[in-house]
Amino acid sequence: MIMVRLQCKAEILKILRNPYFVFWSLVMPIVFYFIFTRIVNANAPDEKLWQAHYLMSMTTFSVMGSAMMTLGLRMVQERTQGWSTFMKVTPLPDSIYFLAQMTAQTMIHLFSIIVIFIAGMLINGVSLAPQEWIMCGFWILLGSAPFLAIGTLVGAMQKVETAAGVTNILYLLLALAGGLWMPLEMLPDMMQAVGKWLPSYSLGNGAWEIIRGNFPEGKNVVILLTYFVLFMLLSKYVRRKQEAV
Amino acid sequence: MSDMLCVQDVTKRFKDKTAVDQVSFSVQKGEIAAILGPNGAGKSTIISMILGLLQPTAGTVQIFQQPPQNRKVREKTGVMLQDVNLMPGTKARELLNLVRHYYPAPLSMKTLSDLTGLSSKDLQTRTEKLSGGQKRRLGFALALSGDPELLILDEPSAGIDVTSRKRFWETIGYMAEQGKTVMFSTHYLQEAEEAAERILLFHHGKLAADGPPEAIKKRVVKQAVTFRVRADVSFSHWEGFSFIQSVRRRQDRIYIETSDTDRTLELLFEEETGAYDIQVENGKLEAAFEQLTSAERGAVL
Repeated sequence: MIMVRLQCKAEILKILRNPYFVFWSLVMPIVFYFIFTRIVNANAPDEKLWQAHYLMSMTTFSVMGSAMMTLGLRMVQERTQGWSTFMKVTPLPDSIYFLAQMTAQTMIHLFSIIVIFIAGMLINGVSLAPQEWIMCGFWILLGSAPFLAIGTLVGAMQKVETAAGVTNILYLLLALAGGLWMPLEMLPDMMQAVGKWLPSYSLGNGAWEIIRGNFPEGKNVVILLTYFVLFMLLSKYVRRKQEAV
Repeated sequence: MSDMLCVQDVTKRFKDKTAVDQVSFSVQKGEIAAILGPNGAGKSTIISMILGLLQPTAGTVQIFQQPPQNRKVREKTGVMLQDVNLMPGTKARELLNLVRHYYPAPLSMKTLSDLTGLSSKDLQTRTEKLSGGQKRRLGFALALSGDPELLILDEPSAGIDVTSRKRFWETIGYMAEQGKTVMFSTHYLQEAEEAAERILLFHHGKLAADGPPEAIKKRVVKQAVTFRVRADVSFSHWEGFSFIQSVRRRQDRIYIETSDTDRTLELLFEEETGAYDIQVENGKLEAAFEQLTSAERGAVL
């Protein structure tokens, strides 16, 4: 047990000390939030609702990013630099190593969610019912699973540079086309049609529904689950193929 | 059977290349054994198989009579790999403390820093900011952290400065006195000769020689007496002597390969050959190594 705790602690510290994490997952979403709710006038009919809506968009943006980048790039880095090999020759069981990494990642997501929610309260005085805050938090936390699966897929790449490039592009595309930067309705019809099927839209939309007093749509759950299974299988397949060599 | 490590008929084939070919040896408790060989001799491949990181194509590896992947084995083995960049974003002390907790009976932080020469300043530094030498020291500390019975070190002295290297070998000596078993790979010949009591010489994936440094020398190192002499003096009958292996003439110089330089010299004067400019070449391990490795290129005296 102490092994799990120490391992988690080390993994969490490691993520928090990573400047890319702090920049992309905490600073950027908060700065964007400030700009699009305070500086740029969004002309939203219901300003309070827009502020809560965009807060959920940015939280989704943050968690989605750290799920793909922090996890994926770290995996590539540890493998190419030989640390994963070293871990294999220590007595630490793989299962504990994996458990600790996943727990650490979840804690980090929870931490990002709380920080960005608080930023929303401080910047715009966003106020939601306690159960809405909690539901939104849990929805985004659990809904990040498909992005973690993408992260493990990224983690199978050979070079840190390629992995970073690919995830950055994927990240920004998913965020833009999924309606996280601006509502999907403001995008061209064609992009809207595609966007509705992206995991980023489904994750955001669940939270947007919650702040409007609804539950996430069944379709959102199905889409996220499908992506999760798809990427997990793909990642497993790629890994098996690599091991065979 | 009290073998700490037993490698039996191990072969490793990659697609079109045999990296390790039918290698067998065992290491006893308290031994310091060096795996010596040039780059590409199969040193790293054999170490990877001993560590259970690679599966042999044929043959078996056992440590403490168990497969190397067993957790019990891992708990009693300390490992230092080549080119490992330690977990970034972690201070040396945090990392060392973390890894210590993987083992049932770890050494204390103080013992570890004393043994490896890591200063308290080094320990406060994040791993990515450590210099190459400091990284190796931390790597060594990680290998020792579980108070292992068996230490396996892949090219341990690569990339460390002279002072650290000296301290490193002193620590290894100390570990051996404590009854630990040490196995390391190197392509520094002198290092294997000085630090190990036994050398496993690898060449083209095969175990070319195995024994104490002196015995290896005797077996593979050729001593020679060379001199100049008038062109009409013949030495062909010398090849009949048991202590002479070969006689060769190149330009005006005669090369006599012998296992006994003293008797060869005696003979040289007894027969009044008129030899001059005599040189005795006492083969060093370096030379043997050169010979073994250059045999491929067809280079002869």
